[in-house]
Amino acid sequence: MNTTEDFIALLRDAMGLPVAEEDIGRTLDEVDGWDSVHLLSLLTLLEQRTGRTLPFAQVLEAATLRDIYALAVAA
Amino acid sequence: MRGRRTAATADGTPAMIAALHRGGLLAARYPEVRPLLADLGDEELAAAGRLLSRTDPDEVLRLHPATPTVSVAVTGHGTLAPLVAPLTGQLARHGLLGRVTVADFDGWVADLADPDSALYAADPDLVLCVLDPAVVFDEVAAPWRPADVEKALREKLALVSGLAARFGGRARGTLVLNTLPLTRRFTAQLVDHRSRAQLGALWHEANAALLRLAEEHPSVVVLDLGPLLAEGVAAEDPRLDTYAKVHLSPGLLSRYAREVGHLARQVTGATKKVLALDLDDTLWGGVLGEDGAEGVEVGGGYRGEAFAAFQRVVGQLGSQGVLLAVVSKNDAEAVAGAFRARPDMPLAEDDFVRIVANWRPKHDNLTELAAALNLGVDAFVFVDDSPFECGLVRGELPGVAVVQVDSEPALHVERLLRDGWFDTRVLTAEDRSRVVKYREELVRKDFLDSFASLEEYLGQLDVQVRLAPAGPDQLARISQLTLRTSQFNLTTERLQPGKVQELAEDPDTLVLAVNSADRFGDNGLVGAVFAHRAGADLHLDNFLLSCRVFSRGIEQATLAAVLRHARSSGARQVVGRYRPTAKNGKVADFYPRNGFAPLSQDAGATTFRHDLARIPDPPAHITLTDLLGERP
Repeated sequence: MNTTEDFIALLRDAMGLPVAEEDIGRTLDEVDGWDSVHLLSLLTLLEQRTGRTLPFAQVLEAATLRDIYALAVAA
Repeated sequence: MRGRRTAATADGTPAMIAALHRGGLLAARYPEVRPLLADLGDEELAAAGRLLSRTDPDEVLRLHPATPTVSVAVTGHGTLAPLVAPLTGQLARHGLLGRVTVADFDGWVADLADPDSALYAADPDLVLCVLDPAVVFDEVAAPWRPADVEKALREKLALVSGLAARFGGRARGTLVLNTLPLTRRFTAQLVDHRSRAQLGALWHEANAALLRLAEEHPSVVVLDLGPLLAEGVAAEDPRLDTYAKVHLSPGLLSRYAREVGHLARQVTGATKKVLALDLDDTLWGGVLGEDGAEGVEVGGGYRGEAFAAFQRVVGQLGSQGVLLAVVSKNDAEAVAGAFRARPDMPLAEDDFVRIVANWRPKHDNLTELAAALNLGVDAFVFVDDSPFECGLVRGELPGVAVVQVDSEPALHVERLLRDGWFDTRVLTAEDRSRVVKYREELVRKDFLDSFASLEEYLGQLDVQVRLAPAGPDQLARISQLTLRTSQFNLTTERLQPGKVQELAEDPDTLVLAVNSADRFGDNGLVGAVFAHRAGADLHLDNFLLSCRVFSRGIEQATLAAVLRHARSSGARQVVGRYRPTAKNGKVADFYPRNGFAPLSQDAGATTFRHDLARIPDPPAHITLTDLLGERP
């Protein structure tokens, strides 16, 4: 996963969330259908996808989709 | 997306499911989902379930009203929402539409204790009360000793036991509990081995008590997580456990969901009854047509041992009422010869309800076998090592569960048992009667091999036979016998209930009902005799007996009574016919073995006569109640 495009595709195709590129800046509570369980699934998926260990506590505190993406690619 | 495979996206979601979801078509094309999921692993099913769980069940039902649904309420300790996706995937894999609800965080005690709770009001088919080690350790303050854990375990057990009783008195559905994994995170906090062992003993005793709740409460099922963990699934993910109160790992929840999928299948009555197996490289190693009966591997050698072990497991399933069958591309004579030439094989011909060996497509053979057994093909599990055969059966018969084994026979057992296809809540009377039937086949074999042991067996069986003209309430069952009995059926005349009634009311016709019982209980109405008078002759139009009670002397006792009745009512002779079919070969010599002489033979049947000069006594071990002279 190298681009926000990949990240959005993951949210859409693996998580089933109705999101598009322009939603990347949204806060999580603005994302249609989002709940805390999605964050847990997403954490697991991102680790599988990137092969890296993500800082769980920080991801859980992320405010926007972009924050999560930044943590995933920085890890 | 990088790394996409043809069949699945990188996280394992089947590509077709992802495509249907993207197009908003999952509800519209829900019936296509099941075959896409049939052979997926736990992780892939969880991935598919993530998408499926975003589909509205009401929408699916509106478009496909016949879809079987299962309502599942998830409650328990900790964060359980991660169970929804794998559960939805597992249910969909069985063609079931899940209505899954998750209770409020940690609301399980109130949910189950309060008879007016939303959980009881929703009346779910399954209630999953997911328990984890934190249920206990949340109550244990640090620093702790085994005695502190013992106290917490005792309290929680009493609580769960009370809730199980409340559930049993209040709910229609099934409550699913589970044992508590004990992880090193707790045991290793005790530095001395003695205390550690003590903790283990206390913990396992508590788990044993949990498991025993199922004996006490018929509506409770307790899943033992131990064997699932032994497969190598992590019990917990420390980060999810700490940060999100997800106390059991996603992997374990997915594995648990697979078990629940099979429980759900039973709720809807979709049980598997038949295990149909290929032969070459499935039940034995090698190819019979090339290696010959002596050359196929089973018993001796490394691979032979593996195949023998697999056969023993198959036999173990058969002993619990699973009907075993062979469906093999081979010559029938060669297969029969191989079973006889290899008495060292754990499975023998008699262990199978049918051995189908021919060169026709296997899906045709499975369809015919299902019809012959009076079962739907959905009741079949099919095991084969050939990807080609497996693919063909999957494609042609989507209801058949296909277990594909490979060239490593040591893995066959695991592959077969990975899914609980034959899981059942308790063995029912029907299952047990199937086992009896199965054993009767063995007894019959004993009859051929060693007459003395059969006599001994029968002497102790205390067989009682009641023979009487059929009463009105017996006609439906007699019709059913004529329709379903194929082996002990002398002329195979299939009679609908109306026809049986007509015959029973005809003064020139006899319709006799044979009831039997033995020390183990009532066998019910197990046989029938149809006869008519023609001048001074009594013609036996048919003679049938359920193969469940064959070779206990019931047939001889019945025949003796009929002959006696013929003589006492002035008949000169009794005439009987045998009309061969593919299935009734075992009674070809029934009349000649019992004092009849051949009279004539034509293309369709052989006719025999008994001159009534010497009428055999009923077998000595049978208590016969002969009501032949009575009116029904």
